[in-house]
Amino acid sequence: MKTEDALPRRYPEQARAMVAGKPALRFEGVTHRYGAHVALDNLSLQVARGEVLALLGPNGAGKSTTISLLLGLLRAQAGTVEVLGTSPRRAVAQGRVGAMLQTGSGSGLPPSVTVEATLRLVRRLYKRPASLEATAERAGIGPLLGRQTHRLSGGQAQRARFAIAIAGDPELVFLDEPTAAMDVAGRRAFWRMIRQFGSEGRTIVFATHHLQEADQIADRVVVINHGRVVADGPGATLKAAVVEKRVRFVCSHPYDKELDQLEGVTDVDVQGRGVTLGSLDADATVRALVRHQVAFSDLEVTGGALEDAFVALTEHGCPSDRRSA
Amino acid sequence: MRQLLAFEGFEVGRLLRSWKFLVITVGFPVIFYMLFLKDNNTGQVIGGTVEWRAYLMVSMCTFGALVAGLTAGGARLSTERASGWARQLRVTPIPAWSYVATKVTASMLVILPVLVLVDVVGAVFGGVSLSPGTWSGLTALLWVTALPFALLGVFIGFMATAETAFPVVTGLMFVLGYFGGLFNPVSGMPRALQVTARLLPSFHHAALGLALLDGHGFGTENWLVLAGYVAALSLAIVWKHRAEELRGPA
Repeated sequence: MKTEDALPRRYPEQARAMVAGKPALRFEGVTHRYGAHVALDNLSLQVARGEVLALLGPNGAGKSTTISLLLGLLRAQAGTVEVLGTSPRRAVAQGRVGAMLQTGSGSGLPPSVTVEATLRLVRRLYKRPASLEATAERAGIGPLLGRQTHRLSGGQAQRARFAIAIAGDPELVFLDEPTAAMDVAGRRAFWRMIRQFGSEGRTIVFATHHLQEADQIADRVVVINHGRVVADGPGATLKAAVVEKRVRFVCSHPYDKELDQLEGVTDVDVQGRGVTLGSLDADATVRALVRHQVAFSDLEVTGGALEDAFVALTEHGCPSDRRSA
Repeated sequence: MRQLLAFEGFEVGRLLRSWKFLVITVGFPVIFYMLFLKDNNTGQVIGGTVEWRAYLMVSMCTFGALVAGLTAGGARLSTERASGWARQLRVTPIPAWSYVATKVTASMLVILPVLVLVDVVGAVFGGVSLSPGTWSGLTALLWVTALPFALLGVFIGFMATAETAFPVVTGLMFVLGYFGGLFNPVSGMPRALQVTARLLPSFHHAALGLALLDGHGFGTENWLVLAGYVAALSLAIVWKHRAEELRGPA
């Protein structure tokens, strides 16, 4: 965890002292259902200011629901959600929160307008935005400013959306699967920017299903599955405890972006025709392979039992600090 | 307020920079007007009081407002909704209602110059001469009462997908134009079509304009039907917008 020195410089000393001890966000006993499906099951979580937190879990674990609740896009059906000491909606209205949401097949950007015009608009929606130059620099989109939004590649659009998320110079940033449309090199560059942005004292919460991303970027990783926190601690601790299963097979035309979206998948490694998937739920991943009609052969599943690792983590606690209840 | 103005400027700017939008909204009413003017019965009297040339100009004003309203919302809005941009705006400090309000206002703002353009065509080519007071009164009346068309465009943008919006808009342009009596006076149509026309906002919008010109006072029915469309469309849009910002676009 970072010290209060890492808070954004624009806060006067007094305000800094006031906020230093308070959590950036608090989730207490939150339950959320979609019909009969329980998305969040009595979830409790606290994140300190300045912390970079990863919400790790397979697709459908409840990560997006958590972020939607924290942004006030959903209202909690039971339990308390607090963001920056107030309600999520108020924190958003005060311009203290930025977010990059999942957009499915869309770009998340307004059509027929330049990236720069969009950023200029977003800046004007906030009381104390960062300068256009600083935002473009932080998101690495300087060369894209004059581009029409519908002419951007998937990865470029993601970076433009990151710029939009931080244009208001927010204290707290939510990123929901921010690297979904990026290739490996794009991912690396993107996470470098995130780390840099986080080191300026902001609180960052990102959702991912990549164990590696969570481990390398976050100060702390919270593993969510079936709407519950199953593990909580610094990345290294989790990595030691959480043993992924490896699903290996041969496939004539492996398409890594599709494989990446399969249930349970945390990592995709394609070497020629050989594919290795890291998975938090190998059974679900194999079922998904069949359902998506991936033409695989020589299927092999290896690795420790993840459930055992989770049980060990949650019953005995992490060796180092466990901040959430 | 400053935020809303910035947002409004952004929206209007995007509309005006779209050549497709400009070609359709400027071209359609002007070309139709010129085509109809070729019928040289401009002095003919319709329904007892209104001259053909006045009827034609008011009808083309209504048609212009209809086309601009439908096109400003319509497919543009469907495409934008599908992109996830609307949801992104929801997590900025502007209030939730501002998205819809800005869209409707932008449509209204582009309808006004279309009305003025048709007025100019009417004065220059259509043989319509009115006092400055009547010109401005007529334009103001037709502008304010064009709200149902602005709402209709936004409504379609919310209900249709990017693929279906375009045919729906094109279809409605001609259905509301023809059956609303904008291309041929309703008084010359069969009984069943006359009844149908009274259900359409296009008919009542033009009727208000004509009532202003013939000086016999406005029909209550005209106002009521238009107000009904405003209420129903507003409710439908707000309902759909709320549902969507919670769930995300389909």
